[in-house]
Amino acid sequence: MIGRARSQAADASKFVVDWMEHRTGVVTHMEHFLYEPVPKRGAWVYTLGSACLFLIALQFLTGILLLFYYVPTTDHAWDSVYYIMNDAYFGVLIRGIHYWSANFLMAVIGMHMAQVFFSGGYKAPRELNWVVGVVLLLLVIGLAFTGYLLRWDQDGFWASVVGMKIGSYSPFIGGATIHFLLGGDTVGPATLSRFFAIHVWLLPAAIAPLIGLHLYLLRRHGVFGSESEYTERLAKLHETQRLEEYSRLEMGDDPYDDDDDRYGDNGSRNGRE
Amino acid sequence: MTELQKDPITRGDFLGFGLLGTVVGAILTIPPVAFVLSPVIKTDLLGESDIDEGWQEVASVSDIPTDEPASFTIEFPIEQIYAGPDVQNQFPDEKRSDEEFTLKNAVWLSWKSEINHDTGKIAKVERPSFLDEKSSGFSESEREELKKNINVLSNSCAHLGCPVRWLINLDGKGEFLCPCHGGLYDINGTYEGGPPPRDMYRYVNVKIEEDGKLYVKHGYDIEPGLDKQQPYVV
Repeated sequence: MIGRARSQAADASKFVVDWMEHRTGVVTHMEHFLYEPVPKRGAWVYTLGSACLFLIALQFLTGILLLFYYVPTTDHAWDSVYYIMNDAYFGVLIRGIHYWSANFLMAVIGMHMAQVFFSGGYKAPRELNWVVGVVLLLLVIGLAFTGYLLRWDQDGFWASVVGMKIGSYSPFIGGATIHFLLGGDTVGPATLSRFFAIHVWLLPAAIAPLIGLHLYLLRRHGVFGSESEYTERLAKLHETQRLEEYSRLEMGDDPYDDDDDRYGDNGSRNGRE
Repeated sequence: MTELQKDPITRGDFLGFGLLGTVVGAILTIPPVAFVLSPVIKTDLLGESDIDEGWQEVASVSDIPTDEPASFTIEFPIEQIYAGPDVQNQFPDEKRSDEEFTLKNAVWLSWKSEINHDTGKIAKVERPSFLDEKSSGFSESEREELKKNINVLSNSCAHLGCPVRWLINLDGKGEFLCPCHGGLYDINGTYEGGPPPRDMYRYVNVKIEEDGKLYVKHGYDIEPGLDKQQPYVV
């Protein structure tokens, strides 16, 4: 009974997957996108970039949720955060995840950068991905800076004020930058509105396409520094895939109607590393 | 270069397209840029300020202690986006917001003092002696003398703007200490040590009324050579 239901479910999922693959090629793309050969030794350090991506995704999701209750006005910003933390269902959890994943994000980005730096992952042909990564780092710092003020408590307020005063030392544009951020020549309602707009729309809208570009460049060149090691391993992978394909053809099966294991081609683990 | 010109363009067309492009580009970019940068335009180009220009009461001169500074808070009303009177007084019978939109600053008041350079202790305090007899009803010349001898200092550190506080060491020497990076100033706000690039900011517009109340206007002694404030003080 259970076995039959399972095989029916497998058939259905195979049908859906094949249908999608046939029309959009999405499965092949996903496989190309998700599977990456990495050296066996120290494979875990290659997960740091994914960890950054995961934490940023958490930021987006919890940030959207927080927006349902947060109010960016000087008379109610602190009140609304207080409401989230004390009255809203799971408010502590949602804001806690936003707060802690932001903190961890800074640490994980540092580790990710260190890993890329010490493994030489920034060398040709990956220089541009390093550049994009640095821009992403600056955007995340901007997000952390602007998010701090939104709580509108003493801690966040003074940290932002001191941060802006540090910025005022910039040559030539220091004053104008401060006036742009403050929304005038003093901290007030305009400052909170501006930081809110920058934190919630401007920087997330800038960071999202750059993450896409970062991932595209990553997939184009692979994750790690040593070119020969990479090509060798990739050649090996293609060789095994080819041999498997041959052996299947020799057994007389149509490779596109290969359903021996009832999981379909896309479900088999043989073709993957 | 010649092979690039597959589609030859006349000089007139080139200029026409250039002009059209400029006009369309200006129409598309000027409104949003001016919209976002309006505070920069108002502050830096037109010289406007969000902070009220009027006098604000700080304290009575008799409240200033003899040999140490005392801090007082002042609030300058501000007019910034929806905090301005245009919005808040739109319907005078119905208040738009309960919030008092102000800039809250702390001021350190003290008597100008001579410092003994060996011990760092205060050697002489320039406190007018007539203060022992009266706390109000000062004449014109007395008010001038009071004004001359009072330090009106912003509590914003000249390094990065953290609030400074007055501390007295074990050996009895008093100093303003910034908690952030250890900037040090003496009782007159003169730079003593640490990262600050200058003395503490002084309020330049100070007046004392007959009843002994001290008033200030917002504004500091920014050095004339530097047209920019560094750091930015609000």
